[in-house]
Amino acid sequence: MNPTHPEQAEAGAATAERGTVGTTMQPLLRIEHLRVSFPGSSSGGGKTSGGGRRVQAADGVSMTVFPKQTLAVVGESGSGKSVSALSCLQLIPMPPGRHDGGTILWREDGGESPVDLTGFNEKQMRRVRGNQIAMIFQEPMTSLNPVYTVGDQIREAILLHRDVTHDQATELEAAALKDVGIADPHARLKSYPHHASGGMRQRFMIAMALACEPRLLLADEPTTALDVTIQAQILELLRHLQREKGMAVMLITHDLGVVAENADVVAVMFAGRVVEVADVHTLFASPLHPYTRGLLASMPVLGRKQGRLPGVMDGATIPDDLPAGFSVKPHDPTLNPVGGYGGPNAKLHEVSENHWLLCEREGFSVDAPGAVPELSFIR
Amino acid sequence: MTDPPPIPEQAITEGAGEAGALVGAEERLALREAQPRRPRSYLARVTVRTMGRWGAAMGGLWLGFIALLAIFAPLIASSFPLVMKSADGTVSSPWIAFLKPMDVALPLLAAMALLLLFGFRGWATARKWLVFLVVGGSVVGASYLVVSPPALATYDTYRGGLKSGEIEWAVHTPIRFSPSDRLRDQPKAEPVAPSGTHWLGTTRNNADLASRMIHACRIALAVGFIATGIAVVIGVAVGGLMGYFSRTVDLLGMRLVEIFEAIPQLYLLLTFVAFFPRNQYTLYFIMVIIGLVSWTGYARFTRAEFLKLREQDFVVATKALGLPLRSTLFKHMLPNGVAPVLVTASFGIASAILAEAFLSFIGLGLADEPSWGQLLSQAVGGGGTFVWWIAIFPGLAIFLTVFAYNLIGESLRDAIDPHTQKASQA
Repeated sequence: MNPTHPEQAEAGAATAERGTVGTTMQPLLRIEHLRVSFPGSSSGGGKTSGGGRRVQAADGVSMTVFPKQTLAVVGESGSGKSVSALSCLQLIPMPPGRHDGGTILWREDGGESPVDLTGFNEKQMRRVRGNQIAMIFQEPMTSLNPVYTVGDQIREAILLHRDVTHDQATELEAAALKDVGIADPHARLKSYPHHASGGMRQRFMIAMALACEPRLLLADEPTTALDVTIQAQILELLRHLQREKGMAVMLITHDLGVVAENADVVAVMFAGRVVEVADVHTLFASPLHPYTRGLLASMPVLGRKQGRLPGVMDGATIPDDLPAGFSVKPHDPTLNPVGGYGGPNAKLHEVSENHWLLCEREGFSVDAPGAVPELSFIR
Repeated sequence: MTDPPPIPEQAITEGAGEAGALVGAEERLALREAQPRRPRSYLARVTVRTMGRWGAAMGGLWLGFIALLAIFAPLIASSFPLVMKSADGTVSSPWIAFLKPMDVALPLLAAMALLLLFGFRGWATARKWLVFLVVGGSVVGASYLVVSPPALATYDTYRGGLKSGEIEWAVHTPIRFSPSDRLRDQPKAEPVAPSGTHWLGTTRNNADLASRMIHACRIALAVGFIATGIAVVIGVAVGGLMGYFSRTVDLLGMRLVEIFEAIPQLYLLLTFVAFFPRNQYTLYFIMVIIGLVSWTGYARFTRAEFLKLREQDFVVATKALGLPLRSTLFKHMLPNGVAPVLVTASFGIASAILAEAFLSFIGLGLADEPSWGQLLSQAVGGGGTFVWWIAIFPGLAIFLTVFAYNLIGESLRDAIDPHTQKASQA
C-alpha cells in the first residue's frame, strides 16, 4: 500500500488481511502533518503575549478516515485528540490558537479532488459544518441551549442546510428523533433541554448532528459524561446509525473498552503526535510503541485480583520484536510530555501491514516528510 | 407568562407507555416527570419564580396600578365633561375633543401589548416584538397626525356653564380637574388642604394635586423605561461585542467604557438644562442623556457573560452546526447572557426616576408638565411655609415606585442565581 516500503517485515500477530478493501478506495478525510500551537503558560509570571514559548498541541498529526469507517483516536488529556478534530471544522479559536502547517484534505460530495479545509474561509466553512461534517461533544448537559426547545434547535440546523419548508422540517425533526430511539418524537420536540436526562440529551445532540446527514461525524468523547449503562446504549445507537446512514465516524475517547468495541482503526496519540496506527485487532494483539504498551498495561481487567495498577509509563516497555531497521526511543520521564516525544527524527513508518509506528528507521532521510498512514480496514 | 393548561392525564401515561426499547428506565421516568404541563421557556420560569416572591408581587401590583393610572389618566382626571347637554339641546363631548395624541395612543398600545401577550400563541417572541414595534410606532405616528386638540383650553367655561345654567347636565370624570387647570375662577391664594373636592389638596398654583400626580405617572414610567432602555441597548451591544470578540475589540471597548464612566451624570444634566431653553422636549433630552451616560454598567455585565458563554459547549455546537455568526450571537448567546442585565436594569429604572425627580425638585426639570419631583419641590414655598400634603403624597409615590423596582430587581436576581434558588428550596 505504501510505495516507500519495498520490504515487508515479519512482525507480531498479523491479522490485517481481514476486511481489507481494494486500493481504489479514497480516504474521505486526510489530515497531513497538522501543526497547531497555543501560547505556552510562562511559568514564573511575566508577559505571556508576544513571542513567548508556544505549546505545540498538534505536532505533525497525520491520519485518514475512509468512508463508513470508524477511526478511534485515543490518548491522554492534552495529547492533541480534540485539537485535531476541532481543526477539521476550524473551531479552534484563532488567536490564541495558531495553525502552523499541514493540510486537512476533505473529499466533498461529488468533488473530483479533495479540498483543503484549512484554507477555507468562514463562508465556505459554514457549508461544510453540520452539513458534511458534524460534531457531537462530551458534555450533553451543556451542549444544548437551555433557552430553546429541542425542536427549535434541530430545526435551525435543518432549515440552514436543507431546502425545505417549515412543515417538512418538522417532519425531518421528528424522523431524526425517532432515529435516535426517542418515543413520541412530536411531543419531545416541544420540550426544553432541562426536561431531559443526560442520556436523552446526548440522543438529542446526535439527532441534531445527524439531521443533515453528514458524511463524517466527529464524536469528541461522546460518552465520557454518561453512566455506564447509558454509555453502552449511546454507543450501540451510534454504531447502528453509522451502518444505516453509511457515514464515517472519528471517535475520540480515552476509554480502551470503547475502542475495542467500536473501532475499525485506532490511532494512538501522545504529546501532539500520532505514535501508533493499526487496525483494532492488531493494536490490541501486538502493540509496539512503548506508550501504547503502557496504556494497555494500565487497563484493569475484570475478575483479576490486582493491587495498584501500573501507571502508563511503568508499563511502557521497548519492544524486542521490532522488525530490523526500526528503533523506538524509550520515554524520558524528565521530558515535558507536551512538547514532542519520540525524537525529532521519528516518523510514522509502516512496520507491518496495517500497522504504523512512530519510530526511526535506518537509512530514511531525516528531512523527508513522513508518510500519511492509510488504513481502509473495516471490520 | 400564564400557566398553560395541563396536558390531560391520559396523554401522559400514553406517552410514557410508548417509550421504545432503546429508551431506558431513567429516561422513561424523566419523560413522566417532564410532561405534567406544557413545557415552559426559561424566561417564563424566571418570571414565575420572580413574581412568586411576596415583595416582588406587591411591587408588581404597585407598578401595574401606576401603569393603569398612566394609560387612563384623562379618563380619571379631567376638567372636561365626558358628555354634556347644553341649554340649546345639543349633546357633545368636550372630553373627546380635548384628548391629546398620547391620550389616544397609550390605551391603543396597551391593548395591543395585552393582545400580543395573551393571544397569538403560535407566534415567536421575536415576531411579536417586531409587530409591536412596527404597529405601535405607526399608531403613535398616526395619533399625532389625526388627533389635534384645541390649542387653548378654558377650563372655567364648563364650571361656569353649569352654574349659570348654560349647560343642562354633564357627566364628569371621577376627579373633575385637569392637571393644568389652575382654578382661576376660584379666588384662592393659598393651597387647599385635602377635602371632598380636592382629594389630595391643591398645589401652590392652585392646581389639583391628585390630578397632577395621576398625569405625572406617565413621566415617571417613561423616564425609567426609555432612559434605561437606551442604556441597555447600547450596553448590551457594546458589551456583547467586547465579550465575543475579546482581544482588541475588548481593549478598545473597555477604554470607551472608562471614558463614559468618567462623565458625571447629574452635572451633565444640570449643564444641559441650564444652557438650553426648557420646553416640552426637555424631558426627552433628559431621558436620552441618562441613557447615554449610564450604559457602561450593562456593557460590563454583558461582556462578562459573553466571555463565559463563548466557551460554553452549546455555543461551540452552534458553530459546529454551521450557523452564521448572527445567529450564534443574537439567538443563542444573548438570551442566555441577558438575565443579569435585567436585574441591573430594574435598579437602573429606579435611579433614572430619582434623577428626573431630583432635577425637577431643584427646579431644573420640566416647565409645565406634571412630575412628582416638581410637585415635591413646591412643598416648601417662598416664605418658608411648609405644606404637608404636597410633601407627603408625591414623596410617597416616588418612594413606593423606586422601592417597587428595587424589590422586583432583588427577586429577579434571586430567581436567576441558581445558588440562592437551591438554598430556598432546601
